[in-house]
Amino acid sequence: MKELKTNSSSFVNFNQKISFLFDGKKIFGFKGDTIASALLRNNINLVGRSFKYHRPRGIYTCGIEEPNALVQIISEYSEPNTRATIKKIYEGMEVESQNRWPSLDNDIGSINSLFSPLFSAGFYYKTFMGPHKSFWKKIYEPIIRRAAGLGKPPKEFRALSSHLHHNVDIVIVGAGLNGLLAAKSLINTNHDILLVDFDNHLGGIINNSAKISSIDNQSPQEWVKSTVEAIEKSKNIKILKNTLVTTYNYINHLIAVEDKHVGSRPSENKVNNILHKIRTDHVILCNGHIERFLSFQNNDLPGIMLASSFEKYICRYGTLPSKEPVIFSNNSNSNSLIYSIINQGYKPKAYIDSRSGENIEPELFDLIRKHDIPLYTNSQIKGVSGGKRIEKILIEDSTGGLSEIHSDFLCVSGGINPDVHLFTQSKGLLDWDEKDLTYKPSKPFQPTITLGSASGQFNLEKVSDEINEKLKIFKNKVLDTQIVLNTKESYQIEKLWEISPHKSSMWSKSFIDLQNDVTTKDIRQAISEGFDRIEHLKRYTTNSMGTDQGKISSINALGIVSDLLDKKVNEVGTTIYRPPYAPLSFAAIAGRNSYEFYDPERKSPIHQWHIDNGAIFEDVGQWKRPWYFPLNSSESMHDAVQRESKNVREFAGVLDGSTLGKIEIKGKDALSFMNLIYTNSFSKMKPGSARYALMLGEDGMVKDDGIISKISEEHFIATTTTGGAATVLGCMEEYAQTEWPNLNVYMNSITEQFATFNISGPKTREIMNKVFPEIDFSNDAFPFMTFQFHNYQDTQIRILRASFTGEMGYEIYIPSKNAAKIWDQLHSFGKDFGLIPYGTETMHLLRAEKGYIIIGQDTDGSITPIDLGLNWTIGKTKQDFLGKRSLTRTDTIRTDRKQLVGITPSNKEDQLTEGQHIILNQTIKTPTPMLGHITSSYQSPTLGHSFGLAVIKDGHSLIGTKAFASTPDQKTIPIEIVKPVFYDEENKRLVS
Amino acid sequence: MLIIECPYCGRRDQSEFSNGGEAHVKRPDGSSEISDREWSEYVFVRSNTKGIFYERWVHSHGCRKWFNCVRDTSTDEILKTYRIDDTRPKLKDFKNLVDTPSGEPELGSGNFTVKK
Repeated sequence: MKELKTNSSSFVNFNQKISFLFDGKKIFGFKGDTIASALLRNNINLVGRSFKYHRPRGIYTCGIEEPNALVQIISEYSEPNTRATIKKIYEGMEVESQNRWPSLDNDIGSINSLFSPLFSAGFYYKTFMGPHKSFWKKIYEPIIRRAAGLGKPPKEFRALSSHLHHNVDIVIVGAGLNGLLAAKSLINTNHDILLVDFDNHLGGIINNSAKISSIDNQSPQEWVKSTVEAIEKSKNIKILKNTLVTTYNYINHLIAVEDKHVGSRPSENKVNNILHKIRTDHVILCNGHIERFLSFQNNDLPGIMLASSFEKYICRYGTLPSKEPVIFSNNSNSNSLIYSIINQGYKPKAYIDSRSGENIEPELFDLIRKHDIPLYTNSQIKGVSGGKRIEKILIEDSTGGLSEIHSDFLCVSGGINPDVHLFTQSKGLLDWDEKDLTYKPSKPFQPTITLGSASGQFNLEKVSDEINEKLKIFKNKVLDTQIVLNTKESYQIEKLWEISPHKSSMWSKSFIDLQNDVTTKDIRQAISEGFDRIEHLKRYTTNSMGTDQGKISSINALGIVSDLLDKKVNEVGTTIYRPPYAPLSFAAIAGRNSYEFYDPERKSPIHQWHIDNGAIFEDVGQWKRPWYFPLNSSESMHDAVQRESKNVREFAGVLDGSTLGKIEIKGKDALSFMNLIYTNSFSKMKPGSARYALMLGEDGMVKDDGIISKISEEHFIATTTTGGAATVLGCMEEYAQTEWPNLNVYMNSITEQFATFNISGPKTREIMNKVFPEIDFSNDAFPFMTFQFHNYQDTQIRILRASFTGEMGYEIYIPSKNAAKIWDQLHSFGKDFGLIPYGTETMHLLRAEKGYIIIGQDTDGSITPIDLGLNWTIGKTKQDFLGKRSLTRTDTIRTDRKQLVGITPSNKEDQLTEGQHIILNQTIKTPTPMLGHITSSYQSPTLGHSFGLAVIKDGHSLIGTKAFASTPDQKTIPIEIVKPVFYDEENKRLVS
Repeated sequence: MLIIECPYCGRRDQSEFSNGGEAHVKRPDGSSEISDREWSEYVFVRSNTKGIFYERWVHSHGCRKWFNCVRDTSTDEILKTYRIDDTRPKLKDFKNLVDTPSGEPELGSGNFTVKK
């Protein structure tokens, strides 16, 4: 391990050695190293196997654009597909390579490479069609899934991440040369500014290459240091480091994710990720450029790296991936690499340039001559060969002559592209630059400014002029920054996308997308099959559809396609870069909204009592409701429900109904309003009385039900279903505000303010007399369907006499804070009368016996009150109410609509099941016409047999006839269609 | 995500609001005799405008007030919000951005070169 001269010694601390495990082997690196730089330091270049062909793959880049070096971080809950080129190491980190078995060196899946004809473009669609449909699901798909892929899913873990919101005037994305200069010019202006950079060391190109010699007569590193200090001291600029802007949404809404544990193990008690949600008036994009590769035979072999990435490893990490690499380029951007290598006391083994001698910069010529570097101008690399690493490079010179060089390292540069991902996410338009051979931002869709290489301005000496011009609107300080370069260059490139191979073999491939294993041959095949539109071609070949979105290769694909179709690149168009810019974890997106915070749990005021008394809970919307109360651990749900139901019918039971929606409606016009909202007429009701009511949609279908208590003409209390509470209140608000703003009426939810207990059963009155001795519960003083206010000790309570179960009963409303007291009182006095608590399942059973429907179970948004046989709820004399006109539409007055009926099995021992279809034939011969289905069914302890409610076509006139219920095993159960009331049809028990 | 100006509370994030569909759809008075067709037009039929669209929003996680909004559906730009009892702004008050021959907005239409 030789230490090198770096741009800044602070990137890597050579005094602090760190060890980590790679595939179980202990590797040493230094503090500040990425996994990739540490591996390269140890001369390890094979880091993974490819997606489809399991080809050996190495480290291709030195940044977020990496397509190959994806690893699984075992020590971080087995996080997959982590880019080794950006993930910093820490002591004891465990890293594994991906997509190989049994080991990286000996991978059985690499046999796929020999079957590559099977895996060509569109192979899923073509190859695995027969012999039977089921073969795909049962045989092909599982095999392919095992063979192809990247990392394994991570282990379940509870992420510590949170969200932060920002509202600023300007966001500067990227704190490289341009970002820092832009921020510098805006120091202490009146703009609130966020400067966001993905790195923990600001400076971008200054750290990554040896291009710049001095800035304002300072060394570039000193300049960065003093500039960052000045920005940090400013009143108006905040710097976010280690923060990647992944998403640029509409209305300048940016999403950025901050890594809080760079270079250390994730914390167990502190936030590890912050998702920044940023709103801004202006965005300045200074996110730089990305180098692209070139397609030639076996351009994926370990030992091949992008030229600028090689330079980055030297300048940032002080490691030389190879002492004598061969360099192959078609442009001037790689000139500084030669300078950097020479600067370290080494020299490239050869320099191959596709440009002719007169197009190569004279300074570069001089440098190459001076150091006696073998130079091939007007030449191309035909291909490389090797096993797990490149060994030989085949060069074709201008005359067509071939020569071979032995080398284990090759640096490639195919030109540079502005990093336009965020710009296109913002819906800005791109334009093809014929001179620089790349897409550049042209027309922004939002207030977006691009600077420097992100805008396609590759000349480093002109950056301050550009900033002065483009940031004028912010009244910024005019810059006069003097930048002196080491390598005199103005970006110059010659067109070259791919080099056709000299000789083809089964194993040799020329890749266009390294991550998804797409070859240039796949592109040709797709075009010959007619997929010549770039968006089709992308999906058919999966080119640039990997997690890297083809950052180093998608423009090459456009170039190749444009040549094949003989069109200009601008005519071919570009596919759209979609957010996120780079994968971000679901943990960061979820933030704190996970586990118990994913969806809030709502609990009744006496929830603890239910827990203490062994209740089994059921989720109803967000509410936790007791489902049933087993006597002991051996009592099954069926037994508990049978016992609870029987007990309520014979003695008494109490249900915690606190979750039912309660809405209080007040105002001078409350009566008119309620008459418009509900089907019933409330005009003739006496104050203090109550009524079962239905609410319809404008389409005439039943939306909700409940009991409406009329306190006075100007005051009503409505109950709703548990799940419908918010919808009903929302609907009332909507109509009160938008349709009838002339009505003086106000409404609010009191669901959580009052607990509700439904006590019912023949012994109820006796219990109530004990608990509330001062209240007269006789039929005369407190008749059925009336509502009274009373005082209980120092609390005002409300009691409604209504029936939830078919037995006589009361609904008690108590302010939530006093609920537990009354609940305890009910039980201590009720014990002697056989009072038990019961849950929602028993409630459903008891209600179904009476034919009381459950909204959403017995109705489904296509059922009118007439279909339910609830004509009596409709106020016939009312001029208007929600959905009234719909009840006389041609569709709603059809007689063959599905209508609610009761079902009993002809043989009393047969069991009915919810969802069973009602049919007329005893034997099933498909297709069998279906009349309808069973919506609710229970085993009744009171009736002694199974029964159900069903909605069936023309049901009301079929009452009294026989039919059949189908079973899943194609059998039928004989049934009788009856009225949907099974118990106390005369309602004697309600008024007793 | 949009930023919506509630006429009562000011500029807020879209997450505080719920959309209520097309605005200025008059509910027929229940006392009037209307045909099935007229009624079903009110219940089921809404326009599907590309361009300037009048719609309702409710500040459901805020003041709970309903209000109206003029939005260009092709660019998602909100041109105006106003109270439910304010008069409907005229269409000609707004510049319709949809002026390309195919009806596509000039900007932000995705794969622009192919569509041209």
